[in-house]
Amino acid sequence: MKKTVDVSIPLGPVHPCWKEPVRLKCETAGERVLRTELELGYMKKGIERIMRGRPWQEVMFLAERVCGICSVVHNMVFIETMEKISDIEVPPRAAYLRVIANEVDRIASHLIANFSYCYTIEHETLAMYLLNTRETVLDNLERLTGSRINTAYMIPGGVRFDLLPEDGAVMLADLAKVEDEVRRVVRIFETGPLIALRSRGIGFMDREEAIRSHTVGPTARASGVLDSDLRLRHPTYQALGFEQVTRTEGDNFARVMVRFQEIFQSIDLVRKCIDTLPEGPIRGGGFCKAGEAAYSGEAPRGELTYYIKTDEYGRVVDIAIRTPSIMNIEACAHSMIKNATTIADVTATFISSDPCVACNER
Amino acid sequence: MSILQDIKNAVRSRSIHVSYVDVGSCNGCDIEVLACLAPRYDIEQYGIYVHNNPREADVLLVIGSVTPQWVDKLRNIWDKIPEPKVAVAIGNCPISGCVYNRRGSLINPPVSKYIPIAAQVPGCPPRPTEILSAILSVAPLIFKDYEESKS
Repeated sequence: MKKTVDVSIPLGPVHPCWKEPVRLKCETAGERVLRTELELGYMKKGIERIMRGRPWQEVMFLAERVCGICSVVHNMVFIETMEKISDIEVPPRAAYLRVIANEVDRIASHLIANFSYCYTIEHETLAMYLLNTRETVLDNLERLTGSRINTAYMIPGGVRFDLLPEDGAVMLADLAKVEDEVRRVVRIFETGPLIALRSRGIGFMDREEAIRSHTVGPTARASGVLDSDLRLRHPTYQALGFEQVTRTEGDNFARVMVRFQEIFQSIDLVRKCIDTLPEGPIRGGGFCKAGEAAYSGEAPRGELTYYIKTDEYGRVVDIAIRTPSIMNIEACAHSMIKNATTIADVTATFISSDPCVACNER
Repeated sequence: MSILQDIKNAVRSRSIHVSYVDVGSCNGCDIEVLACLAPRYDIEQYGIYVHNNPREADVLLVIGSVTPQWVDKLRNIWDKIPEPKVAVAIGNCPISGCVYNRRGSLINPPVSKYIPIAAQVPGCPPRPTEILSAILSVAPLIFKDYEESKS
């Protein structure tokens, strides 16, 4: 009988391209990848178990430490769920400042995702350009919130710090610089023949497969899934006239380009927010009450859902978190990497789906 | 002290290979280690080369509170690194478990129970400059006169 599987190649958990530990087991016939299996569980800390029975003031800090890359959006979705339970109104200035913090964090997250992709296809020059641009973006996040990574910027009923007019002017000037730099990188990325060889047509996933495997975020939008951005349903983003970015190619190139386009879109949103920042207080009042609610927001990697049940003292009785990457990397392992023509494309395809293992396993 | 040892000391202080392993953090520290690569901090001007291969590393950066999966694997990775070697704990997690060290969690800190730690960089997460200065101050100190002190 003819042997179909030559060798099973494990990638990870410690791998030069992975930022976090995860293991991919690729079954190959020659160079061709027949089947890939994903092995998770290296980062399971049990955050949801710690959260149960604690007051929201503590759970707030645990929630943003679910994921370090997109900590602002974890904070935002947790706080907005608590506000939904307790019927707390947010002042308009605070709602705009939340969008600014969230979008600046999204730019930083997309920049590091595209840095990882460029680094994985061994284009170190572009990777370093992107990483250096990210430092400028993080400076602005620090100027607004006081911290680079775990910011704890939002609280029920508002935000902690105001944006001073001179800080807003510096942020606008910095973002103009970032836009110029990213535009230059995008031009190199779009026209580079070697990048096209490693990216175009590799790791293809069509629209039906993307919908069937419940992909979310830039991975779904690169395959042409319409109406998959939850910012379309957020009232502040609706007021800002947000429109979703969609591409139809569905390959590695499209996934990276969707993130680049979203960076420009986020810069525009921040600009619009600072220009039309309403006057008024940044913190309203309110008490966290008993109740339960599920609420979703758009993280840089896709749909993020929190289900929270609280008691009358504001303690979190039950909590469940659904993070975006778990669907994306399962879809990546089962439909993008499947039938890859060479094992060298496996790492690039996996990184292009922007895996965030700390989010997945919590 | 022999001339050979002097040369080795001089070379080792300007050629440090770094590997990092995440044993269960929120990956905030991972991206701060990655940020050290950026031209602003320019880790390579000090002769530090970050890659992720324990077999040719000198310095192991341990990130995160230790999850059950890593209890034996961390020791395996440490054994794979050739002598002389040094481990640096990055962030609060490997020191105390940070916010995860509560009743009901699965983690088992500190990391110094499993491998010898030479230096600790507290912070949630520490800034890239702090990580950089920790590596630069601890690595040449440990590697100095390694061959002569061994014999």
